[in-house]
Amino acid sequence: MSLLGPVGVALTVFVAALIAPLFLRGLSDALNRASVTAPERVPFSGGLPPTVHAWSRYHARYYVMALVFLAFDMEMVFMYPWAVVFVEEGPIAFVEMGMFITVLLLGVLYTWRERSFEWS
Amino acid sequence: VVLSSVIGRLAAGADARVFAVAGSGASEAVRDLRLADGLRLVDTPRAADVLLVAGGIPPALAEPLARVHDALAHPRATVFWMPGVPPPDLVAALSAPTIVTDDDGIVPAVRRAHRELMTGERVSEPPVLPDEDAVPWRGVGPYGQGGSGMTGGTPYGRPMAELGADRDGLRLDVLPLSVGPFFPRFPSGLVLDLKMAGDVVVEAVARDNPFAEEARRPTPGLQPFLRALSQPVAIAELEVARARHHLRWLADALLAHQLGSLGVRVLRLATTLTPDDAEAVERLARTLTFTQVLRWSTGGVGRLSPDLLAGLGAGPVARASGLAEDARMDDASYGALGFEPIALVEGDTATRWRLRLAEAIQSLDLARRAGDLRTEQVGRVEGPRGTLEPGSSPTERLMAIVPRSIEGLEWGDAVAVLTSLDLSLDEAAAARVPAAARGVA
Repeated sequence: MSLLGPVGVALTVFVAALIAPLFLRGLSDALNRASVTAPERVPFSGGLPPTVHAWSRYHARYYVMALVFLAFDMEMVFMYPWAVVFVEEGPIAFVEMGMFITVLLLGVLYTWRERSFEWS
Repeated sequence: VVLSSVIGRLAAGADARVFAVAGSGASEAVRDLRLADGLRLVDTPRAADVLLVAGGIPPALAEPLARVHDALAHPRATVFWMPGVPPPDLVAALSAPTIVTDDDGIVPAVRRAHRELMTGERVSEPPVLPDEDAVPWRGVGPYGQGGSGMTGGTPYGRPMAELGADRDGLRLDVLPLSVGPFFPRFPSGLVLDLKMAGDVVVEAVARDNPFAEEARRPTPGLQPFLRALSQPVAIAELEVARARHHLRWLADALLAHQLGSLGVRVLRLATTLTPDDAEAVERLARTLTFTQVLRWSTGGVGRLSPDLLAGLGAGPVARASGLAEDARMDDASYGALGFEPIALVEGDTATRWRLRLAEAIQSLDLARRAGDLRTEQVGRVEGPRGTLEPGSSPTERLMAIVPRSIEGLEWGDAVAVLTSLDLSLDEAAAARVPAAARGVA
């Protein structure tokens, strides 16, 4: 540490991190004597070749769940300042947060009724 | 060099990873390899060191077999397990193939091939097919996809999937996909031409049975039933064979549901099953019911209506949908034992599991009580998959409803339903060929 200083240490780690993957890659290539052939690259579905390309647009059905998760996850942010002042404010803070959570819970129940949590 | 020899020696001590291809007459023997020490059957050739080709491979499957061979990563070796059947074309394409003709030598042969491969004594097999892309990269277009625009053109020379309406009212790609004939979760030889919208099967078309022209011996588990077509057979023998068959099916189904360890235990029970093991089977049935393993993953999935199955003689599949169809009812010997078929009503995948377990228990009970009693009816026998008649098998008749039973399901459910139908293209072919040509006494 004293020899290199903080910048020197950071630089050493950076250079080592650059070299390590190159070294491992080179080692792997040196040990591997066979090259990957065209039939080996084809995706396996039981022995028949694919007829169309796999660039396929499909409905990412989990997006509703992902959005709902994000929305409710963000509400948790409000809990941090609340936790800080919770002891100072006392029971009144508890009641206030209870109201907030109740409103959120109604939202969850609504989403549930709208069947957003079902995959199909 | 030192490093690679150390790694090679470590790898040689590990279990041999085997991708097994079951030809005609070999599906049971291949499944039993799960009980062998030092082998591990894997689900994709990518994860395998050794390709095991067992049983008769008809010419129609020669090319898919070559593709499977070339899909194994290096180093790779192939072992052929050919008890009394001619080896496939692939043998000629390899320089030093291992061919095993007896049943005892197969596990040591696979282990040896794996060990020699890892220590470098055996060279990795070169590809059988030419090393060229089916449709080479052309590199035209702004995104290098061979056309213009994000979805235009033909990437790697393969056309893009076409558009179709999806279940949410959107117009998205419908991907044509052919699965099989060596897809490990399908019965060997089955090829389904599917159209997939995301993970939903929109359309399924089954190709012809590749084993149809093969006049081979059927799997050992089926032989008592085929014998019963032409002569009286001891009921005890038939019923133990039926219970074994159902447990073997259960082992497979558990594996398909990623419960492989339990599957191996069930398989071990199946291979040694006697009429006195009824208690063990009952305990197994209780465990599966109690843990709700079935209900959560298979309840309500793939419901088949009795109208669809009526008259197909589809055995357990029909009885799980409430049809009390069973050829055993017409046999006086079974009548003397007071046989009544079990029929459940729900008709979904979970019910087909439950029914087979209940039938296994019932079969062991019949076997215990039957003594020396023999079947009286010939020419029509209730096999473990349904009613067997000369020239007609339950699998053949069930194939007609396969597309309808999986269309509209998600892929995982479709595989679960296919597994629960217990198809065997091999059996379909064996039933079609007259017993004399098959060499069954």
